[in-house]
Amino acid sequence: MTQPFAGVRVVEVGGTVAAAAATKTLSDFGAEVIKIEPLDGGAMRRLPPFLDDRPALDGGGFHLALDTGKRSLALDVTTASGRQVVAALAAGSDLLVQELPPDDAEALLAALPDDGASTVTISPHGPDGPFRDRNENDMSAFAWTTRMHRHSIEGEEPQRYAPQVATIQVGATATAAAAAALWHREQHGTRSTIEVAAVEAMAGNVDSFFAIWTFSGMDLPRPAGPSKAAYPAGNYECGDGYVLFAAQGEPFFSRLCAGIGHPEMLEDPRFMDLAQRPLNWDLFMEYLDPWLKARTRLEVFTQLQEHGVMVAPVLEAPDVITDPQAVARGSFVDVEQSGGGGTTTTIAGPPFRLAGAWEARPTPRFGEHTGEVLDALGYSRDEQIALFRAGVTS
Amino acid sequence: MTSGLLAGITAIEACEVWAGPMAGSLLGDLGAQVVKVESYPRSSMTRPLGVAAGAQGSVISDDDGPPYELSGIHHLANRNKRNVAFDIRSPGGGEAMRRLIASSDLFFEGYSAGTMERLGFGWDEVHALNPRAVMISMPGWGVEGPYRGYVTLGSGLDAGAAHVSVRGNPTRDTSFVQPIFHSDATGALTVILAAIAGLRRRDETGEGCFIDMSQIEALTWQLPGVFAEWTMNQRRPERLGNVDPHIVPHGCYRSADGDGWVTIAAEDDRQWAGLASLIGHAQWADIADPRSGIVGRLRAREEIDAAIAEFAARATAEEVADQVQAAGAIAAPVVPAPGMLASPQLQSREWFEAVSHRYAGTKILGGFLWSVEGDEPSWDLPCGLVGEYNHEVLGELGFSADEIATLERDGAIGDRYEVASA
Repeated sequence: MTQPFAGVRVVEVGGTVAAAAATKTLSDFGAEVIKIEPLDGGAMRRLPPFLDDRPALDGGGFHLALDTGKRSLALDVTTASGRQVVAALAAGSDLLVQELPPDDAEALLAALPDDGASTVTISPHGPDGPFRDRNENDMSAFAWTTRMHRHSIEGEEPQRYAPQVATIQVGATATAAAAAALWHREQHGTRSTIEVAAVEAMAGNVDSFFAIWTFSGMDLPRPAGPSKAAYPAGNYECGDGYVLFAAQGEPFFSRLCAGIGHPEMLEDPRFMDLAQRPLNWDLFMEYLDPWLKARTRLEVFTQLQEHGVMVAPVLEAPDVITDPQAVARGSFVDVEQSGGGGTTTTIAGPPFRLAGAWEARPTPRFGEHTGEVLDALGYSRDEQIALFRAGVTS
Repeated sequence: MTSGLLAGITAIEACEVWAGPMAGSLLGDLGAQVVKVESYPRSSMTRPLGVAAGAQGSVISDDDGPPYELSGIHHLANRNKRNVAFDIRSPGGGEAMRRLIASSDLFFEGYSAGTMERLGFGWDEVHALNPRAVMISMPGWGVEGPYRGYVTLGSGLDAGAAHVSVRGNPTRDTSFVQPIFHSDATGALTVILAAIAGLRRRDETGEGCFIDMSQIEALTWQLPGVFAEWTMNQRRPERLGNVDPHIVPHGCYRSADGDGWVTIAAEDDRQWAGLASLIGHAQWADIADPRSGIVGRLRAREEIDAAIAEFAARATAEEVADQVQAAGAIAAPVVPAPGMLASPQLQSREWFEAVSHRYAGTKILGGFLWSVEGDEPSWDLPCGLVGEYNHEVLGELGFSADEIATLERDGAIGDRYEVASA
């Protein structure tokens, strides 16, 4: 039994977070990914955090998490010489994922062989339209999707999600489309040309209330704190932090009342009459608050989940890594890096479990495989020197 | 479906709310033949039976029709699939489900771990029914482990994955951080990858396989920055809001139009030169001025933020963003739903879909996540009605018209839910 994407050859171009995220899972599930990186190392390798806050192209937290198992080729793909190398690689590959400025992306696509790799091109706004050439980042592309507006309190500053979370979703969108293209190629031998526009990838998925507006004309209120009308939903303080409820609907509200030892609430019209419930949040908290304050996050979580209540602990990063479920499942793994010095990085494990399918291998140093990849493509040493002298490789 | 990338794959979706249903829609967009098996006679959370105060699932259009057919949050995650409604606990509904599994490549289900086993559709039964079927179970915390059987929405997984602890307004405490459903979006995408991985495995071994997809694990790898702060430097990541510790300016500013806001950033000296000139401080990009360099800008964060805030307040969010973009820097208005619908870009690309539905009429919905040259996805099947394809699908499974009528009479299948009285 091999890894599910064993034998699949992938080329990643651009050095961006979305492109790295797009090929990361394919790599961990067995694909051979060659990461073509701009000569300055690209944006993704420059993202913090860094070990001891010392910036280094081979030491960024995003690079160490998202480049697992890839090989690195440092190449300027904005030159004709560089594009020829990419074309040679694409001719023997199944998939090319790129994120470049629009004109560079177009030029690269034009240079590729017709019968080579399928392509997935990631951009902020797509290959046409009045915003085609707009430069966006993780925050501004997200702002166009309605999700940033929802992620705010009425009258207060809207907030992005955690840094790069939106962008990685765009990468994961490219992965899904790429996987479909790989399937099609395997079945029919034909290649596909796919475009993923970041704004569309985010706005077209769920976690959006756009359809509520088109269906009802309502832009739902963005309350300050948990709703006192439909409750409990949102974050509530407990003994050692917060828990998040989504127990405002049935059967969860009734289960909650039973779970906190107050089954009499189920007979109380102040809670069970949906017209009265919004008037009685303060009374509700007289029941819930002391129960929560006497318990830790994990106690609230496990005790109420035994009653089937939708509640979850609000954890911080170290808590997630030592969470009993994560420990039992091995949700985080250690990767021995190849750079020497016995460096080990701890990263998140597989996004799904299929026996023998997933492995996080070491990340490549910047340009680590440039010579090796060019050798395999048949470039002579003189030709490699020529590329180097011309400033095309590094 | 005009997209044919996954043509020939048959899939069964037994999922509610967002992650699984969106996965079914994406598979359908890509050309797979998807049958959505809906719970019956119990409806799902996104199919409200009445209008309950404040519950998001109950925000429906005022078109005529059953409330459970009129919920926008249900429509947005359901398209390009055929809906059936089976009571799989009943003998007849169970038999229909067994035949469906026996004839499909892929079965994915989103109930809490153990539910499908109790109903007789766990992996062992599925594998016995169809040795070539791929099954994906996608509970919030996964199939195995001490949290087996726990229930959640995407908002709970966002909390459990440490995202709640690092997002939101840094001047407010955690109680003010809004629930979001990001893990539904990432979970839907992960199902596509998992399905193809499973089918490739099946084609290699000749035998189906089981995939345990924890939705929280499908989210966790997408938060590398959050975890690296701890694993690399033993530092608890902070809630940053829109601030970037290493880029100035990088923020969200109030514009002149009511509660309008605009994001603005200049990530390098070139972008900054254009922006500084635009906001009337061209000298701040002069080499003699410390602010022309990134370190000088970091040190002058408050002053620069104040100047940009003043500039942003002079025009609408869209106007400010247009000007900043024209000056070569990064900017976008923070759009609510009407603003997104008015986006010149999305309009120019004809991205939105006007979808006709028997009860909801014609509604505008968001478009597709990707485009495939010469093979574009299309909205061939709008959101299915409850049990809309019962007859068609059961007929394909070999049930006669009489048998289908019996299933209906026995309540093993259905095409409507009992609506709560007002």
